[in-house]
Amino acid sequence: MRRGVLAGVVLLTALLLQAGVVNPLDLPVGHPDLLVLCVVALALVAGPTWGTVLGFTVGLAADVLPPADHALGRLAMAYALVGYAAGLLEDLEERSVVTTVVVVAVASGAVVLVFAGVGALLGDARVNATSVADSLIATILYDVILAPFVVPLVSGAARRAEPVTTY
Amino acid sequence: MRDSGRARVVLAVLLLTAFTLITLDYRSGSGGPLRRVANAVFGPIENAVGDVARPIGSFFSSLGHLSSYKSDNAKLRKEVAALRSQLRLTDADRARLDAEEKLLHLDQIAQFRIVAAHVSAVGGSLDFESTATIDVGSRDGIAPDMTVIDGDGLVGKTLSVGPTTTTVLLANDVQFSAGARLESSQLIGHVDGGGRGPMTFTLLDSQGTVKVGTRLVTFGDIGQRPFVPEVPIGRITRVVPTPGALTRTAEVAPYVGFDSLDVVGVVVSAPRTIKRDSLLPPSPSPTPSTPPPSSPPSTPPATPGKSPSPSPSRSG
Repeated sequence: MRRGVLAGVVLLTALLLQAGVVNPLDLPVGHPDLLVLCVVALALVAGPTWGTVLGFTVGLAADVLPPADHALGRLAMAYALVGYAAGLLEDLEERSVVTTVVVVAVASGAVVLVFAGVGALLGDARVNATSVADSLIATILYDVILAPFVVPLVSGAARRAEPVTTY
Repeated sequence: MRDSGRARVVLAVLLLTAFTLITLDYRSGSGGPLRRVANAVFGPIENAVGDVARPIGSFFSSLGHLSSYKSDNAKLRKEVAALRSQLRLTDADRARLDAEEKLLHLDQIAQFRIVAAHVSAVGGSLDFESTATIDVGSRDGIAPDMTVIDGDGLVGKTLSVGPTTTTVLLANDVQFSAGARLESSQLIGHVDGGGRGPMTFTLLDSQGTVKVGTRLVTFGDIGQRPFVPEVPIGRITRVVPTPGALTRTAEVAPYVGFDSLDVVGVVVSAPRTIKRDSLLPPSPSPTPSTPPPSSPPSTPPATPGKSPSPSPSRSG
């Protein structure tokens, strides 16, 4: 079950790096989101079922990990959807750098919008036009910059690891 | 096809689970039981990561600030030289002040009991929240709803507490709000974090005057939880015209640099009475530089305009 172990290690590392290293950095407008990069990279190899399970798990962990302070389940929902959608592209024939970047950009935008959308429904004061716009711009931009490096790395490692089971 | 059918079922189940969690957790607010468990489990790991990452992160962030470090360095050398020459003058003033204080029994300016902590992680959740994890917890005497300060002023308040880590809501978060008082007066209002926008101060008095440059301190709460009084917050930079409103609104430049938090202190107890305005540094005369208009500045280590007196609230 080596692919499962790899996925767990990758996602845990991404969680801790995001909170401990990436978020404290003083970057303009916002920060990249390592979790969406890893979820997309793993889902592109593992398919929609595993994509959504990995997305849900890492989203829930991100909801629970301190210092998060919002209703539990919001990030879980967002990453589960993105994991599913990215997993549907598992059988994409021509996968160039451009398509990877486009997928990451759409996924980053989707994560922000779903998270903000649920927040708006719950009446979260932190969700307003400027914060959503800033988060969208920053997350998409920084993730697109990191995508050509992170996604092939994680996808390659996942492909070489033993598959969990074949459905 | 089988795979996508199964995938859709799994997705539906997980979305329902997430929705249920949201509904359940929405009611319990910050500090619910699941968060306390997470604090206990993930806290030590985050502390370790923070300990390792802090020098690396500060190296990379310092690369971006090298030129300003050089000019800050030159400026600080000049200030030190000037201050040394001033010392001879203030010794005499200090002696007189000591005698007066003894007469009036003002021998304690403010004695906060503070637990010092490092910031080990900063929350983003896609940059919507402004929270931080610090590496002290209930074992060090921390409880929810305590004031968090650093040498410059008000940092925030504690939210949920684990055995070795605590989540802090920073003062520039949209959901942050604290009672505030204008210096040298009895006019009170509240300060609200603005997220990416500027912090705002709302004066609960439509007839009161708010002047640019006035400094704000916290107005303590009952039982001093969550806020102890007299902690410096920031300085008014712009008065927002609100004709016909029952309150007055102004933008505030906070003293604390939220992008570069490192060592903070949690106030675990404070004396019952603290002399008003005693924690603000003596007012500089005249104000050396015009404050920046809207966004809170990320203050470099030596804030120009602050006098050299050590803040009594800094822990050892």
